[in-house]
Amino acid sequence: MTPAGSLLEAVALHKVYGTTPALDGADFSLHAGEVVAVMGPSGSGKSTLLHVLAGIVRPDSGTVRYGDRELTALNDTARSALRRTDFGFVFQFGQLVPELTCVENVALPLRLNGVRRKEAERQARDWLERLEVEDIRGQRPGEVSGGQGQRVAVARALATRPRVLFADEPTGALDSLNGERVMTLLTDAARDTSAAVVLITHEARVAAHSDREIIVRDGIAREAVGAA
Amino acid sequence: MSPLRSLADRRTSRTDPGTAPQHPAPARPRSRPRAWADDLVMGMRFAAGGGREGWIRTALTAIAVALGVAVLLIGASVPTLMDAWHGREKARENLGQRHEPPRGDTTVLYASSDTVFHGQAIRGRLVRPDGAHPPVPPGMSQLPGPGRMLVSPALKKLLDSPDGALLRERLDYRVTGIIGDAGLSGPAELTYVAGSATLHEPSGYRIDHFGKAWDPPPMRPPAVLLVIMTCVALLTPVMVFIGTSVRVGNEQRERRLAALRLVGSDVATTRRIASGESLFGSLLGLAAGALLFLGLRQLAALITLWDINVFPADISPGPLPATLIAVLVPAASVLVTLFAQRGVTVEPLGVVRNRPAVRRRLWWRVLLPVLGAALLLPLAREQQWTDSPFNTVRLAVGSMLLLFGVTALLPWLVDTVVSRLHGGPVPWQLAVRRLQLSSGSATRAVTGITVAVAGAIAIHMLFTGMQAGYTEAYAQSSKERPDLAYWGHTDSWRQTEQALAALRATPGVKSARGALTANIGQVPVPGHPADDTGYMTIAVGNCAELRKLAALPSCGSGDVFLTDQRDKDVIRPGATIDLNPRLIEDDPPEPHPWQIPHNTRPTHLLSPGVGPNHYSFDLLATPSALDIGRLNSSDMELTVDYDRNLPDAIEHIRNTTAHIAPALYESSTVDNPHDQQLSSVRNGLFAGAVVTLLLIGAGLIITTVEQLHERRRMLSSLHAFGTRRASLGWSILWQTAVPVTLGLALALGCGLTLGALLLSIIDNGVTVDWPVVAGMAGIGAGVILFVTALSLPPLWRMMRPDGLRTE
Repeated sequence: MTPAGSLLEAVALHKVYGTTPALDGADFSLHAGEVVAVMGPSGSGKSTLLHVLAGIVRPDSGTVRYGDRELTALNDTARSALRRTDFGFVFQFGQLVPELTCVENVALPLRLNGVRRKEAERQARDWLERLEVEDIRGQRPGEVSGGQGQRVAVARALATRPRVLFADEPTGALDSLNGERVMTLLTDAARDTSAAVVLITHEARVAAHSDREIIVRDGIAREAVGAA
Repeated sequence: MSPLRSLADRRTSRTDPGTAPQHPAPARPRSRPRAWADDLVMGMRFAAGGGREGWIRTALTAIAVALGVAVLLIGASVPTLMDAWHGREKARENLGQRHEPPRGDTTVLYASSDTVFHGQAIRGRLVRPDGAHPPVPPGMSQLPGPGRMLVSPALKKLLDSPDGALLRERLDYRVTGIIGDAGLSGPAELTYVAGSATLHEPSGYRIDHFGKAWDPPPMRPPAVLLVIMTCVALLTPVMVFIGTSVRVGNEQRERRLAALRLVGSDVATTRRIASGESLFGSLLGLAAGALLFLGLRQLAALITLWDINVFPADISPGPLPATLIAVLVPAASVLVTLFAQRGVTVEPLGVVRNRPAVRRRLWWRVLLPVLGAALLLPLAREQQWTDSPFNTVRLAVGSMLLLFGVTALLPWLVDTVVSRLHGGPVPWQLAVRRLQLSSGSATRAVTGITVAVAGAIAIHMLFTGMQAGYTEAYAQSSKERPDLAYWGHTDSWRQTEQALAALRATPGVKSARGALTANIGQVPVPGHPADDTGYMTIAVGNCAELRKLAALPSCGSGDVFLTDQRDKDVIRPGATIDLNPRLIEDDPPEPHPWQIPHNTRPTHLLSPGVGPNHYSFDLLATPSALDIGRLNSSDMELTVDYDRNLPDAIEHIRNTTAHIAPALYESSTVDNPHDQQLSSVRNGLFAGAVVTLLLIGAGLIITTVEQLHERRRMLSSLHAFGTRRASLGWSILWQTAVPVTLGLALALGCGLTLGALLLSIIDNGVTVDWPVVAGMAGIGAGVILFVTALSLPPLWRMMRPDGLRTE
């Protein structure tokens, strides 16, 4: 079991790529509805931490618990199912499927969860409206701006109403104005749906949207000084 | 001058490191050819040192070009190999000349003694020198003496093998040497030249040299069609494969070209550099293609088609076609590269794809196959194929337009169909949306399949139709003619009787009948031209044999019978006819008048026209009714009915006839060599089509993996939010299956149309080989699964979280 109130708990995570250690005994915990910013310099292991927490990558050692389940003990199929139902993802470049329209992109995780197409697209339209990009729903990702694309990516991540949203440098490819707007929409929407957020960033301006900050350096995560 | 000087310009302005100039030296402008050469060489260097992807692209381009070059070289060799084959035939032959030289020290009697053994034709020649210095055909140093023979290596091998035991009985001469290559039409030819002590005129022709003044017949229509169709059907997929292979590693290449733009290359320079990369693969392919051609032509020694088997050395393209191939194929690959770059502008910070979405127009795409059909239809309506350069060009262009029309129609068809597809499960939606967004690359690879299948179906139909035609012709002639008939010169009834007795004593023979036959004519009137239509035929035999030919009320020695085959005014009892009519225009012989006895009785033939040479007999006579020695060119005609269930009965009969007279001609409907030859060629073609389809499958895999590679980040993110591997696997399957299925449907329509037209051109009935059509469709389906299966491992790899890492 995770400690009382912890939704996601990681203990003593180790991960090595080749000969380079990415995580070297990192610990982490996340409470329901909490927004945690993970900060650190390039190559410090932030993204690896996110991938391990989300069950995308298995750690070499250490454990990740999600609720009462030990994520690191689940097989790939179970972890994939968990990612479909309980987790959402936003990446730096959106990673939208270029051949699908924006509304189809948002509907995609719902459809993967078995929601019928019409219903999935109805819900997707609601999310696009909420993220103020309803007008581009019929366009393909290649036809919209970076900021609009990233909002579509946020809508896609939240469409399944995940309990945890993992955002890896979600504003890294945007200008400050657009970045600010995307972060506001992301955190507001997450809080509205009580989703916890793991936010990877190296920008203090972005981290300011979080409740708590974790610093990752040399593969070890530490609570930021002065953080709540 | 452009502010963006080319990279090569910068290179030329580089200064000696030993000096330290205050200002950079002014750039020396390059001449245009020099600039081209420099840039092409730089591209070739990139191709050689471009890492794994560069080498894969180079290797694939080289493979594709090598296949194209090999096919082209083989196609270009057909005229020369036919010339060489005819030349060999001409140099060693001299049968059938009209004016025989007088007997002398340098003449030889020469006759054909061709035979067939287990369905294989064996060319035999008998020689009997008149003097000490007879002519010698190519491939031998001297003529064999009586009872001896020189044989081809293939015949020697057959005679020495256990399978050749029966043949050894037939050709019971002593082997004293091997005929050299110069005396053979091909390495697999079964032939011999035997010395005879008994050969005489007119069974043998007197000649004083070998080397016949003879013009080779034009290639048979099926052969022309085959060569043209094979080249077209094989080359088109190869061109498509070249188009696919030069696109491999595009992303990396575009990054490199963008980097070159950043350091000052202009757009034209980057295009030339890209062309140089293709040129490198192309030149490697040219060399590999030449080697492949040399290897493939060795296989030609093993192939016999329409009784033609050739030496590998005879398969050689002329210098002009070879030069054209060496120049045009690399040029074509460069053009394909430039074509692939249309609408793509390489900018210093990356690539801009500024090609507007083009609506595919139907009218010009339909125009191509319609024009092709319009060129072929008049040929199909002609009574008979006429081998003329105009018709050959019409045929080639018409077939190519039909096949290329398919390649033009397919993108439109795919676009039109996929634009109407909606809904469905996620994998289907992903695949359909992908095709709706960009069907170009998938369709491009599939056009190869379409052309290959359409061409293969058309060629198979051609072969199936021809095979059916031969089989029908043999079946028909079996009804019209007896199974086995022999004829050859004789001037005595006794010899004919002995031959019949020998045949009846041969194992497996049920019955044998025979007669001595000859042409007779009207007695010429001096000063008047002979009436060539006045020839008649007479059959001489004892009463028992004559009764097998006609219904005789009674028969005795000296009787003559007049059949109902002729106008009674021309030939009637008491009329005088000529037993020695003029058979050759320039050679009027002395008339041998003979009066048809007054007591000649009428009769009618039992089966008019049953003679193996299809002549009806006008007169039947017993041997004592006339002086047989006065007949001109009398032949014995023997007809044999035998037990088909007895193994090798026919070979025993052939052995017997060879000992009666080696120069006896056989008329047989037993062996249909075309059947076996065509079957083996069809099997070969099917195998070729499979290889071509696999090649195209490889092209499709390259395209798919390339696409996956470009989308690896998106695939990783899809995996991150829980997309099942199977969903993406299925989407790849649909993505391949939709264009391939449409391509196959189009290929089926085009192949059947083209096949029907080709069969009509050679006046064959239209026969569709449905198992082959089904087989082709099955292979197409196999290609889909093959591509999907081989795309899955890279797909799994691309879905790894590595793609999500940005640092």
